[in-house]
Amino acid sequence: MTTDLKILLIDDEFDFVETTCKRLMRRGYSARIALTCAEGLTIIESAWPDIVVLDVMLPDRDGMDCLKEIKGKWPTLPVILLTGHASMQTGLYGIDCGASDYCLKPIDLETLVEKIVIAHRESRQQGA
Amino acid sequence: MTSLFDRIASLFSSKPKLKPAELQAAFRSHYKEFRSLLTANNNALELMAEMEQALSVGKSFGMAFIRGNCTALSVNIYKMIQHLNRLADGRYAGLDQPFRAITRQLEQIIASRPATTEGAAILSMAEVDAGMVDQVGEKMANLGEVRNRVGLRTPDGFVMTAVAVRHFTQVNDLQVEINRRLKGLDLDNLEELYTVSAGIQGLISNAPLPEDLEEAILAHYQQLATDAESELLVALRSSAIGEDSSNVSFAGQYRTQLNVSREFVGQAYKEIVAGKYKSQAIVYRQQRGFRHQDVHMCVGCLRMVDAAISGVLYSRAPDDPRSSFVMIQAAPGLAGNVVDGSAATEQLRVSRTVPYDILDRQFGAGREGGGGASLLRLSAAQAAELAEVGVRLEEHFGAPQDIEWSIDQAGLLYILQSRPLGRPVPGEPPVLIAHSPAADELSDLPAPLFAGGVCVSRGVGCGPVFMVRSSLDLLRFPKGAVLVVETPYPDWASLLDRAAAVISETGQVAAHLATVAREFGVPAIFGMKQALTALENHHLVTVDATAGKVYGGRVEPLLALAPPKPNLMAGSPVYKILREAMEYITPLNLTDPTSPFFRSDSCQTLHDLTRFCHEKAVVEMFNFGERYGFDDKAAKQLVVDAPSQWWVIDLDDGFRQDFDPESRYVDLGHIVSVPMLAIWQGMTAFPWAGPPPVSLRGFGSIIFQSTRNTNLDPAVRSSLVAKNYFLISKNFCNLSVRLGYHFALVEANLGEFLTENYVSFQFKGGAADENRRLLRIRLISDILNEFGFRVEQKADAMTARIEKNTSLFLQERLKILGYLIIHTRQIDMVMGDEGMVAQYQQKIMADLHTLLQTGEGGMT
Repeated sequence: MTTDLKILLIDDEFDFVETTCKRLMRRGYSARIALTCAEGLTIIESAWPDIVVLDVMLPDRDGMDCLKEIKGKWPTLPVILLTGHASMQTGLYGIDCGASDYCLKPIDLETLVEKIVIAHRESRQQGA
Repeated sequence: MTSLFDRIASLFSSKPKLKPAELQAAFRSHYKEFRSLLTANNNALELMAEMEQALSVGKSFGMAFIRGNCTALSVNIYKMIQHLNRLADGRYAGLDQPFRAITRQLEQIIASRPATTEGAAILSMAEVDAGMVDQVGEKMANLGEVRNRVGLRTPDGFVMTAVAVRHFTQVNDLQVEINRRLKGLDLDNLEELYTVSAGIQGLISNAPLPEDLEEAILAHYQQLATDAESELLVALRSSAIGEDSSNVSFAGQYRTQLNVSREFVGQAYKEIVAGKYKSQAIVYRQQRGFRHQDVHMCVGCLRMVDAAISGVLYSRAPDDPRSSFVMIQAAPGLAGNVVDGSAATEQLRVSRTVPYDILDRQFGAGREGGGGASLLRLSAAQAAELAEVGVRLEEHFGAPQDIEWSIDQAGLLYILQSRPLGRPVPGEPPVLIAHSPAADELSDLPAPLFAGGVCVSRGVGCGPVFMVRSSLDLLRFPKGAVLVVETPYPDWASLLDRAAAVISETGQVAAHLATVAREFGVPAIFGMKQALTALENHHLVTVDATAGKVYGGRVEPLLALAPPKPNLMAGSPVYKILREAMEYITPLNLTDPTSPFFRSDSCQTLHDLTRFCHEKAVVEMFNFGERYGFDDKAAKQLVVDAPSQWWVIDLDDGFRQDFDPESRYVDLGHIVSVPMLAIWQGMTAFPWAGPPPVSLRGFGSIIFQSTRNTNLDPAVRSSLVAKNYFLISKNFCNLSVRLGYHFALVEANLGEFLTENYVSFQFKGGAADENRRLLRIRLISDILNEFGFRVEQKADAMTARIEKNTSLFLQERLKILGYLIIHTRQIDMVMGDEGMVAQYQQKIMADLHTLLQTGEGGMT
């Protein structure tokens, strides 16, 4: 399994995002946290992440807006949406805006890791 | 509409050709879309299976489950549609319309809410009747009915209605915070459950009452006190909307506060409202599919009865709705002593007909001991009065009743509550588990460890003993254990969905824990005196509650008598919402790809969409060859010792690197497709025994002779013979087989991620009459079921699927399918002969076990 992936988690739920980050690193992935969309964009600007996991509810901005900006500027960067409040509308809208996947909290790490690796692999293919 | 097989035939027509390298590249990018589509398909089918399972096995779920699964499902299907359109250059844009229509329906169903209630914040008991359930809750509505329509004596009082509690919740903006804390709560993590529950209750108890509400409550309290006692004391009783209905009993789940004086009425009210979030109530609602915000906690405020003697009255025996007597449990003082199982009680059976004779009278031990020493006995006149009341209330409400009562110091009878006598399963006959006569005739039973006590919930359960003495033990209680306690406290109720059986040293049939045990279908024996000392933790025991016996170890003959657990969710609001939603999700209307109705605009459910997208994606992979000039040579004839009747198309990396792409043949040794090799192994492990011994003239049996039959010339195409193709890559295989009159399709992906892994199997048709074809499908279904497949059958078509397992595990399943494809052909012809069917089944199972033992991976 590829473990050299650089994963950016954008989520304001600090407890959740911190443990997820730690557990990803324990599995050999590189992971970083951004608590706001603006913070996330700065990290993406530096061309660091291979993939982004984005919460739909953010303090500074609507998550969908954030997604649209990311996909607008970096169309090949895969983004997985992660949310605690399921809504079919935002789910489908998210896919329309270019999200690779839409997942619900709580999610076990195993599943999240698979989704991350698969979304990353699929994003490589489309470029190829 | 052209089917897959027509497409295959058209592959070989002449078209402009791509160079092998170009073809390979183009194919690869198509294959990757295809693969993503398969992953989404896999996710979608798994989600549907999970939802179907929720409906059928009675696992508890809430709205979050429905909303979450519907969302994940529609996202995956949306992705399938997009991948298909990319695969087919946008030719399936027509799928958007049915997809939007279905998801719109689902959104509406999920958004539906029960009607809101309107009216006064406080109602006097004199105004309340059974029609006001939506305002005052079931318990108070029934009590009002008893008072105002039946004309029996109930305590004076008033009800703080749903309007009152909504006002209180809204003013303090509590619901958002409560929902936040409940979000993602894991019911199996008891420690987390108790922490969250306590936190929410504190939040509610500490929120201030709105001034207008507090004033109104006190004004009504004052009116009760007009008779000018020194100090009026009241009882506050919960009456949640949704509790105590004929379908669902929340018996004792909520608080009752007794002897409340004026200064504490407001606080007591808030605490009862907070009781809505007691841990067992949270679990209870979740298991039964009530949304927390849809349950409104109304509270009755009733003048205290100065009780001399109190108890519970069943208008029929709890386990026999046709009994000719009422049952009365009585104890000195307040009724709570009987219900919480703590007091010594007497139990009477009293005839239901005039002159209401006492049939017998027994004394039961309570926690405080004493038992038969109780001096206060119910008089014959009081027993008769109670029996008469029981019969009247049953007649009025039209069902056996469970009644709480008190007789005051002046000898006046008060009814405190009347509700339908607990029915174990909504929608099922109110008779508890029938005592099978077979149980008495079982001769080879071991000697029980001990016997005795009272059966309070019938049935048989088996598990390791786990004694619970404190809330600390509560947290450690393992799923499937036998709960052993000294006293049946209501607090233990939250363990009942995890317990295999309950044994209590004290208590009787009226205890709250007994009521809940009956509802959950958990066998329970109370009053089994030596239980705590005679049993040891972790020892496996079988509890035959019906017979009042406990055995060491697992007693299979007894367990075979145990009925299945009831589905607690059935009939609840959330269950109904899921069932309604499922109408737009799982029914499969598109079963036949060759039908003219296999079109995008025929898709009526999400399942139809997945089926359509999958079928078309496979067709597209062939179609691709047609459009770009698929080389004749792309399909290689498989060589095993000699050329066989099987063809292989490599989609990506299914052949060894040193394979010569110009060759017309491919040797088995050149194939590196893991799933294909597993199927092949199953197909060839045993020689086919040949057609069954019936006349098969005219059935083209020639093509069935052997997988290694080398006599068939591939150049000859008869109308009966469609070629059998493996489409492969290293991890993927799609095999379509048309062997004579039946059609089979095996598809598998065995990759590095469980999310992508699956094996699916479709099977249809046969030459025999319908009945025999169905019997063959049942035979195959049974076998596949045994090996963990999820099987669905519609007419003579069957699909079986298994997903998210390890590659090794799935390879074993593929071997089984390979074997079945070869060895079950034509056995439909002999399906009329039961002896033959059994014989085939035995041989098949024996072969399969040999097959799996010889493989490298062990069976689990």
